[in-house]
Amino acid sequence: MIQLENIYKSYKNNRVLSNINLTVNKGEVVTLIGPSGAGKTTLLRLLNWLEVPDSGKISIGSATIDASKYTKQEIRRLRSQSSMVFQHYNLFKNRTVIENVADSLIVVSKMKKKDADEKAEDLLRKVGMADKLQDYPANLSGGQRQRVGIARALAVDPKVMLFDEPTSALDPEWVGEILHLIKKIAAEGMTMILVSHEMRFVRSVATRIIFLENGELVEDSNPKDLFENSRNVRTQAFLHKLTYEEE
Amino acid sequence: MGKIFDPTFMIHSFPEVLQALPTTLFIAFVSGVIGLVIAFIISFIRYANIRVLSPIARAYISFIRGTPDLVQIMLVYYGIPLLLKALNEKFGTSFDVNGVPSIAFAIIALAINAGAYMSETMRSSLLAVDPGQLEACYSVNMTRFQALRKVIIPQAIGIAIPPLSNTLISLIKETSLVFTISIVDIMAQAKIVGSRSFRFFEVYIVVSVIYWVVCAIVAFALSRVEIYARRYERKTNS
Ligand SMILES: Nc1ncnc2c1ncn2[C@@H]1O[C@H](COP(=O)(O)OP(=O)(O)OP(=O)(O)O)[C@@H](O)[C@H]1O
Ligand SMILES: [Mg+2]
Repeated sequence: MIQLENIYKSYKNNRVLSNINLTVNKGEVVTLIGPSGAGKTTLLRLLNWLEVPDSGKISIGSATIDASKYTKQEIRRLRSQSSMVFQHYNLFKNRTVIENVADSLIVVSKMKKKDADEKAEDLLRKVGMADKLQDYPANLSGGQRQRVGIARALAVDPKVMLFDEPTSALDPEWVGEILHLIKKIAAEGMTMILVSHEMRFVRSVATRIIFLENGELVEDSNPKDLFENSRNVRTQAFLHKLTYEEE
Repeated sequence: MGKIFDPTFMIHSFPEVLQALPTTLFIAFVSGVIGLVIAFIISFIRYANIRVLSPIARAYISFIRGTPDLVQIMLVYYGIPLLLKALNEKFGTSFDVNGVPSIAFAIIALAINAGAYMSETMRSSLLAVDPGQLEACYSVNMTRFQALRKVIIPQAIGIAIPPLSNTLISLIKETSLVFTISIVDIMAQAKIVGSRSFRFFEVYIVVSVIYWVVCAIVAFALSRVEIYARRYERKTNS
């Protein structure tokens, strides 16, 4: 489904990702954890080609792209395989709720407006936003915005959904419902790669957890093993610090 | 001699000065529209950082900013006929060098001037749109062009209107320079009426009132457009 081969990425002289190799199968819910600055966001953004790797190869579904040589068509094919839910929602501010979801269907998939609206409305009903179709993002709460963000990402029928700390900009009161929604989508079989600091949620939703530090994949394991029996000292140190902070 | 200040004369000269208002409005409107087109193209060249063209655009903006409006009008007024003449000689074309109406020079000069200022406004407005908006467009696989059309430009317009409005109002006022190339706008008309009676102060009050009213109407109209362009922003209860 997803394959990363020998991915390297630096900003100026700052190496952010080193030799990342990763294979993700259909239906997996992979969670990236790790300290701040580890490269989690960067890794996620590479998959959507919002960030260009220095070298390496990315395949998602039927699309493959090699950082050393690629075309615009390849970028678009890669992007068509995935969609991103952003930490700060990034809803189109000048578009209504329904337009946020329907725009890509009309503009990119060339759907008829009527069909696009119908599909958008179905998705918005699914995320519990059917009563706000004509509102602008500025007039929604954080939780409502993120629901729209999720509906917009679902609309493109992605093979994989990418979530970058989807709840960390939310007031605590909205966190639960967004996590619940993500879980619901995961339960329907969606392949996901998710960055989150919500360890209880991570444990309950992930089928696989990857611990990233200093731009390297340190540990790749199932949740139970990683949380309870990790033998890796760096993972242990990270988890220890985390539980310490939560108390 | 009569009165020091003659309000009756002033009021009576209004209609005569107003006769030239269509000329002023025509110059302002046409050069404003052409200026917007120039600005749009230049701002895009700079925004997309197109090679070769981008430095030329920068030089153009710098030149316009660094030279007086009046000098620019003179350069156009004397320069374009020379240019046409040179073209005629070189390519055997037959442009009528003396047949170009003065008003065309005025419009070209003012459009080039306003275009430079407005292009900077448009460029900075495009850059002021949150980069997350473009990324979101890419994440649902829009092209850059589609993103600009649906999301980035509409938001940039909302940001750009207040400064664009300032430039357009300056443009209306700058039309008062065109009397120097013998166009009878309201300013020239006021001079004519004033010199007939030697009551300059009165007629200049008349022109200033006319400019003021025109500028106020345009400012009001553009503030309405701004409200429309930013209708998606949070409604505050004020
Ligand atoms: N656009 C950029 N320009 C320069 N450096 C960057 C840029 N984006 C990220 N970095 C650097 O890359 C490194 C990895 O950043 P990244 O955002 O991927 O970390 P992260 O694991 O998501 O951290 P966090 O948990 O804080 O979100 C950091 O050192 C960061 O400073
Ligand atoms: Mg991050």
